[in-house]
Amino acid sequence: MLGNMPEKQTLGEVLEQQGVSRRGFMKFCATITSMMALPPSMVSAVAQSLESAKRPSVIWLPFQECTGCTESFTRSHSPTIEGLIFDSISLDYHHTLQAAAGHAAEDAKHQAMEANKGEYLLLVDGSIPIGNPGYSCIAGMSNEDQLMEAAEGAAAIVSIGTCAAYGGIPKANPNPTGAVAVRDLIKDKPIINVPGCPPIPMVITGVLTHFLTFGSLPELDHEGRPVAFFGQTIHDRCYRRTFYDRGLFAESFDDEGAKKGWCLYKLGCKAPTTYNACATVKWNQGTSFPIESGHPCLGCSEPDFWDKGGFYEPLSATAFGPTSALLAAGAAGAALGAASAYAARRKQKKAQESQT
Amino acid sequence: MNATTVETLETLRKKARDAAEPSQLSDEERLQRAKDAFLANLDSEMATHLESCIHCGMCAEACHYQTGTQDPRYTPIHKVEPLKRFYRREVDPLRWLRRLWTPKLTLEDLEAWKPLVYDGCSQCGRCSILCPMGIHIQQLIYVTRTGMAAAGLAPEELQGPTDEQLRDNTLFGAGSEQLKEKVEELRSKGYDIPLDKDKADVLVLSTSHDLIGDSGTLEATVKVLNHTGVDWTIRSDAFESSNYGFLSGDKAAKKKISERIINAAIDVGAERVIISECGHAYPTLRWEAANLHQKALPFEVQSISEFLAAELEAGRLKVTKDAGGNRTWAYHDSCKMGRLGGAIEEPRAVLRAMGVEIKEMESHGRTNLCCGGGGGVIMMPSAQELRRKAFTLKREDVDNTGATDVAVSCGGCRTTLETGKAETNWNINIHSLVEMVADRLAN
Amino acid sequence: MTLLDFARGPGFQIALVILLVGIVWRILGAVAIRFSKDLTKPRGGKQSIRGGLKAVLTYSAPPHELEKNIKFQHYTGYAWHIGLFVVIFLFGPHVFFFENILGFGWPHLPNAVIMVIGIVTMGILVTLLIRRMIHPVLKVLNNADDYISWTVTFLPLLTGTLAFYHLGARYETLLALHILSVELLMIYIPFSKLMHMFMVWPSRYRTGTDFSRRGVEA
Repeated sequence: MLGNMPEKQTLGEVLEQQGVSRRGFMKFCATITSMMALPPSMVSAVAQSLESAKRPSVIWLPFQECTGCTESFTRSHSPTIEGLIFDSISLDYHHTLQAAAGHAAEDAKHQAMEANKGEYLLLVDGSIPIGNPGYSCIAGMSNEDQLMEAAEGAAAIVSIGTCAAYGGIPKANPNPTGAVAVRDLIKDKPIINVPGCPPIPMVITGVLTHFLTFGSLPELDHEGRPVAFFGQTIHDRCYRRTFYDRGLFAESFDDEGAKKGWCLYKLGCKAPTTYNACATVKWNQGTSFPIESGHPCLGCSEPDFWDKGGFYEPLSATAFGPTSALLAAGAAGAALGAASAYAARRKQKKAQESQT
Repeated sequence: MNATTVETLETLRKKARDAAEPSQLSDEERLQRAKDAFLANLDSEMATHLESCIHCGMCAEACHYQTGTQDPRYTPIHKVEPLKRFYRREVDPLRWLRRLWTPKLTLEDLEAWKPLVYDGCSQCGRCSILCPMGIHIQQLIYVTRTGMAAAGLAPEELQGPTDEQLRDNTLFGAGSEQLKEKVEELRSKGYDIPLDKDKADVLVLSTSHDLIGDSGTLEATVKVLNHTGVDWTIRSDAFESSNYGFLSGDKAAKKKISERIINAAIDVGAERVIISECGHAYPTLRWEAANLHQKALPFEVQSISEFLAAELEAGRLKVTKDAGGNRTWAYHDSCKMGRLGGAIEEPRAVLRAMGVEIKEMESHGRTNLCCGGGGGVIMMPSAQELRRKAFTLKREDVDNTGATDVAVSCGGCRTTLETGKAETNWNINIHSLVEMVADRLAN
Repeated sequence: MTLLDFARGPGFQIALVILLVGIVWRILGAVAIRFSKDLTKPRGGKQSIRGGLKAVLTYSAPPHELEKNIKFQHYTGYAWHIGLFVVIFLFGPHVFFFENILGFGWPHLPNAVIMVIGIVTMGILVTLLIRRMIHPVLKVLNNADDYISWTVTFLPLLTGTLAFYHLGARYETLLALHILSVELLMIYIPFSKLMHMFMVWPSRYRTGTDFSRRGVEA
């Protein structure tokens, strides 16, 4: 599959070769343009750019990951345009998808990095363990060293998935591997975070398209995520919002409220504080998303979502600490109060004795 | 009583001032005494009160001096400010923190508050009924006065009689001599008066106020007592019900003065001590003396109205029904015997027995409006403007009943109402309860 | 750790500890000082406990002849307290908060009702603040505590309303501010007049017993 196509071919030529009709291509361009919240007038610009885009070199480095992000992109029951775009880039290094292995694969990676120095796109998924490099190595080289080496010649880095973007599940308390995010290690290169556990396929495609079209990063929010896809919360677009507003909550899984499709706030839904496109773009070609399937949003595109107090605790729940601490507080208050009263009594007794 | 009342009051005030002993203490000593008095008198109940104030200001509505003048400085809880400040620095559980921002109590503070707690408070207790936090504000002001008196800051007109009572066992120059004179006068009218008996069931108290001027209270009391046939006596060395220690806040004096009565009652073996028509005397003896004495009293204390009601019920007192023709009657509750004493039903029962139908004032019984002269206010020249403003409210309350006659059972209230009547040309008749009963004894 | 994480976690724990220590300290320290025993005989020889308990209730309703000019204050005062308690205890997400702590919950009111009550409560609070600033009696009494207490009581209502309507900042920030404003209130309670929520009961009780032992109705 990959790495065999001549680099001089443009994306347009590749698509044509694959039998994608002009109409189909324009339809895709229109879709991706609107997904990126660009005006309709940009459609032709997008089309032109994509058509004539040189297939950029892409290095994909997998670190402490579960391969779920790759699965998300490549899972398709029928070939999708996204998949074809992906096929059309020059994916010069990807463990799961490449044919080569061992030293041959490593050599291919270094060759591509040399040949496209300063221009290749570095995609990363999985967190980087710095607690003990031995936790995750490729060909004897630690993830951290790999990242630093590859980042040097990259035009930009895309952290795919919450692990690469923010540390993800390896970073969850107590973080035994000392996992960190890409942005914690790389400070001098543009980084686009595409979080999600996993991210929505259309989102990564949108980011790549933007990069291919404009040669620059899309507008990013305060967590480095493309505003076009992460600018609003799930809550803002949730179809069950009317039930939240009315205060109609499912109390438990499969109860009357749940069956009626009521809001899942009480069951721990983190949608109000989660920025992603799940409620609009949805999953599996627009089939559904967790809330629609009756499960509260886990908040998987947010940093530290594993440590937010529990998936099934509502946002209004707070940690009130162990009961022993509270009892100790009460006892401390009683001791202080008794001491204060005792001291006052002694003063009062003395004053009483001075009264004739 | 008529226009001579005002003159009499002026004479009394001068006598009071003349009797005062000047303080020999330094400013530091005086302040320390005030603080010691505060410490000694604050208790856990008062602490809960001082912790509960939310500055809602509703107590202002209950105070006749505040509503009469619309001067916010007479807001009841504001009068307590020196005590509150002291509490915050010295007794409050969080005192170590509060000392960072609470100013120390100074003698100047106490001096500034003197007119608020003396001139501006008749100790009527109406504020304690209204406060939504249930703060017994009257009691807190009382403790504030105790501290003031300890610092030598009680008004001369109140401290003077206190010193005189303590020193000479006389009040306004009237003591055992004057009582004996009055007794002789009444005996010459035909009254049988058991003076200075060794033993008796009932010890009767009068007041020097009854010996000055042409008051008929003592005569009426004697008449009624003899009618009931109870075994009674009056002691020439312990007949004074008035206790200026209560009015000035001088607690030590209050204790010693009340103990004269207690000792006399024990000496005489009395079952009952009757207070004839004095206001503050009642709570002092009934509700405080045992605590000052540190022992429960072996006798009952009754106001004359309670005595009359009890004797009516026992059948020993018989009265004629004579409401005096076409009159509309109102009854003015004394704060000290009513709201702070508990004798609310008794005077009404006595009036009913005499065929008097009372038209209750809007504020009556537990919520009655003070006459404005209690707590020593009637004695202080500096307080008379305040008293007049308060009196306007009282008069309005009485007039709204359409009353032509108002009965009272307290010498202080009677004096205050008579003074107000003279000052405002009030067309109303003021009656003493015991005198009314004496005039209607059936045979 | 984000602001919201702090507010929902260590922030709340700290505030709760301070609240507990402070409340117990202050209550015990006040009620355990010198106690005066009353040696006088109560009227009718009756125990005054019933009078005290009665006073705990009746002092909420002052006699009408005493409150002719303060009806506005009296009724709006109760109105905003009731409004506040309805918002705190009958708003869905708040019920879930208590359920998380206590292990049991209770029914809640529709959100729209709560929002209306909350906004009315805030309106009453603002009105009463203005009253406090211009009323002659209150101007004599006012101190810093009065204004700070008002503020820490008002902020949770304000931030809660803003959070619910997503007004003014991102939701997670608004929610964090709301929870932090509640924590501020919790920390402030033991050091302020807000303790009246606990002290009013023994205060009314003792005054009630004082009066009823003298034979005066509570």
